[in-house]
Amino acid sequence: MGVATARTITLQGASGHVIDVQVDVSQGVVKTAMVGRPDASISEARDRCRAAVTNSGFEWPATRRVTILLSPADLPKRGPHFDLAIAVATLAASGKIPVAALAGVVFVGELTLDGRLRAVPGVLPMAMAASARDLGCVVVPEPQAEEASMIPGMTVLGARSLAQVVAILRAEPVPDAAPVQPLAPGPLLSWRGEHRIEEVDLSDVLGMADAKYALEVAAAGGHHVMLSGPKGAGKTTLAERLPGLLPDLTLEEALELSAIYSLAGCLPPGQTVMTRPPFRAPHHSATRTGMLGGGSGRVHPGEVSRAHTGALFLDEFPLFQADIIEGLREPLESGEVTIARGDEIATFPARTMFVLACNPCPCGEYHPTNRDNRCECLEVRRREYRRKISGPIADRIDITRHVEPLTRREKDDPLCRPETSAEVRARVAAARERQARRYDGTGWRLNSAVPGPVLRERWPLPSEAERLVDDRVYAGTLTRRGATRVHRLAWTVADLRGVGRPDVNEVDTALRLRSGEPLMLSALGAVAG
Amino acid sequence: MSERVARAALSRLSEPGDVRLTTLVGRLGANRVYELLRDEQDVAGVYTDVAARLRGLDPARELADAAGKGIRFVCPEDDEWPRDLDDLDRAEPLQERGGAPLGLWVKGPRRLDEACHSAAAVVGSRSATTYGAAVASDLAAHLAEHGVGVVSGAAFGIDQAAHRGALAVKGLTVAVLACGVDRAYPSAHRGLLDYIAETGLVVSELPPGCAPTRVRFLSRNRLIAALARGTVVVEAAVRSGALNTANWTTRLNRVLMGVPGPVTSAPSQGVHELIRARGAALVTRGEDVLELLAPSGSFLAEVPRAPMLVTDLLDDRERRVLDAVPVTRPAGEDSIARTAGVAEPDVRAAMERLSGLGLVEQTSVGWLRTGQTIQR
Repeated sequence: MGVATARTITLQGASGHVIDVQVDVSQGVVKTAMVGRPDASISEARDRCRAAVTNSGFEWPATRRVTILLSPADLPKRGPHFDLAIAVATLAASGKIPVAALAGVVFVGELTLDGRLRAVPGVLPMAMAASARDLGCVVVPEPQAEEASMIPGMTVLGARSLAQVVAILRAEPVPDAAPVQPLAPGPLLSWRGEHRIEEVDLSDVLGMADAKYALEVAAAGGHHVMLSGPKGAGKTTLAERLPGLLPDLTLEEALELSAIYSLAGCLPPGQTVMTRPPFRAPHHSATRTGMLGGGSGRVHPGEVSRAHTGALFLDEFPLFQADIIEGLREPLESGEVTIARGDEIATFPARTMFVLACNPCPCGEYHPTNRDNRCECLEVRRREYRRKISGPIADRIDITRHVEPLTRREKDDPLCRPETSAEVRARVAAARERQARRYDGTGWRLNSAVPGPVLRERWPLPSEAERLVDDRVYAGTLTRRGATRVHRLAWTVADLRGVGRPDVNEVDTALRLRSGEPLMLSALGAVAG
Repeated sequence: MSERVARAALSRLSEPGDVRLTTLVGRLGANRVYELLRDEQDVAGVYTDVAARLRGLDPARELADAAGKGIRFVCPEDDEWPRDLDDLDRAEPLQERGGAPLGLWVKGPRRLDEACHSAAAVVGSRSATTYGAAVASDLAAHLAEHGVGVVSGAAFGIDQAAHRGALAVKGLTVAVLACGVDRAYPSAHRGLLDYIAETGLVVSELPPGCAPTRVRFLSRNRLIAALARGTVVVEAAVRSGALNTANWTTRLNRVLMGVPGPVTSAPSQGVHELIRARGAALVTRGEDVLELLAPSGSFLAEVPRAPMLVTDLLDDRERRVLDAVPVTRPAGEDSIARTAGVAEPDVRAAMERLSGLGLVEQTSVGWLRTGQTIQR
């Protein structure tokens, strides 16, 4: 009899911690005790493991005292995936497996009573955490081996049952077992609208040159956009075309995003790595938990995190619950979302582009720059409606654009040739390339992520351009935070134009983009639609 | 040599708007002036300037070449010549440029005089905003739809927006260039100019092949002003070529109009100054322009009005009574009379009127405002 340690991972948000599952089998009062703050699903593991071990043809040390310690004890631990580590450590402690075989291996998997493995959510982030701690080998349920293999240099063993795992650890021939069901089965229905976003193109939209340019800048630097305009003007139409302007994800981004989807247990089957940036468009009736993350039991990533590296479109923004709007301040500013709950704090990445759309008033007809507006809302109601987006949220929006309905002259312009998404995407990719080179080794990818002080210190604006920004700050029409955001935006405009660094023109464009003022035609390129 | 060929030759020799030459031609005729120059007679110092250009000049062949490219040379003796251009001869020169052109090189299917008969020039800054471009386009589209040709300079910014607005409604537009009509300046507007040459007119004082220079733009601006009955300036910074066109418009006694922008916007500053101090009419819609260009009183723009409200029908006393009627708790006539400061019999009379309009209702304990809003 003796003691053995197997390792597994517990997740807190998107960060993982290595947990030692230490099992001691010794003489004493016959009892199986679990210590070290297990949650309900782990306490149940005792019963599952015992049945699984017995039904796999091994002997559970039922006549001994079995103490199972999960350490470090101060971390909350969740999830059924501790089963495999507990079973393996128990077998090792009772001498069925050489203790040395467990060194450097991380075990992830839920057990069924007959000793088979079940798939669990979050394998990818667990493998990432293991890799970060120099643990080079993971044992996972077979369908998820591919997911874990995305981590470079990781040895992944996919197993179907406890018996197979034991055989591998004993270096014996591996017995056969029934295949494990993947976590998210394919959809029962497939419908035409499923891939609608991939089929829309920017060239479908006539006119709206400045709103299109605004989206291009947003895509290039990862900036937040607010589109306002009367109903039916084309806000949604434009927003849906934003993902088409984004280049494929880099390997690093793909891993982060896939990790979030793995946590949510919704990695599309047959596709382990997400290669395209996500586009999420939750309805305004969404709950706070659904938007920001949380939930009972395991903390789920919310829509803001599922849109990480992509775009989050919030149509009719003022109709979202007030506490959701408040809760968006953090992801808008820092690109992450923290869910504090009891003794547990989970942080998820949420570096997404927010695209907020709102009508100019509750009825959607009012427009301050349209003299023919048919709005019948009282000014008080308009103010009420606008107040929800004013203040802290509005200040965190980089680009504001008014979308005017298409006019006849735009529709019938014989010389207008709208650009395709692919053409714009190429420019966006080039601009992102420039940013990647500039920020190489700093951990930032896009202008929108660079902290203000660092930006001012290392990538300042020329003094004349700086003065343009300062003038607005002193005039009280721009906040300090706004000035930083304009600074970042100016860099993106410069990156798109390929001019090396922003100067007066780029800052002017950035200020106009932010304030909603009309752009200079020359900013849009030669013959703009 | 015919007068036409001589004029073509002189247009090649001289810089556009050379007042010395136009005066000479007016006195002696183009043919005589050309002969004098060819014989190396230095009249008014012109020969010294053009000597280098005289060598190898073959005006007849040049006209034939131009015809081959679909370019015609329109002279004052032609039916197609817009008589309005002759006003230039009577106008004071500006920056030493002036006078009617010797002739115009024209490309396009329309007749120049008809195109310019009731035309409006829509001009403005190259560095325009999307606001200015949208306004210029809408304005031009509205004018073109009403049969008014749109004259402009095919430059970046407002000019191209004006042309395209007219083209969008399949209207007539005239581009006046500061280079040969076979050239595209700016080169990005090659497509635009080709399209205009197919449906409208591309016009220049300069023979084919000539390149644009600074002074040529200034001379060109006088033609834009002279070919149109009035000029609308949409966005011009304090230093803008469009202000030069505005000057010519005033000098020719044509209608000068300006479209305002935000008072804080630099590209609108020049226009605001035109309106503030130079007598330009403020226009915001195509209708406004039509009203100013049409013979006096023949077209009147509709004056924008606020929607009619029920309360507009009330007199002062009735209005005071209405304001005194409570919204939630009914009040008697005596109380209303006190609040409104109106005699009780008058209140009774007012109430009759107000309830007739559905603005108040009588309950068992007094009068109450109805839910009906004051909006119609």
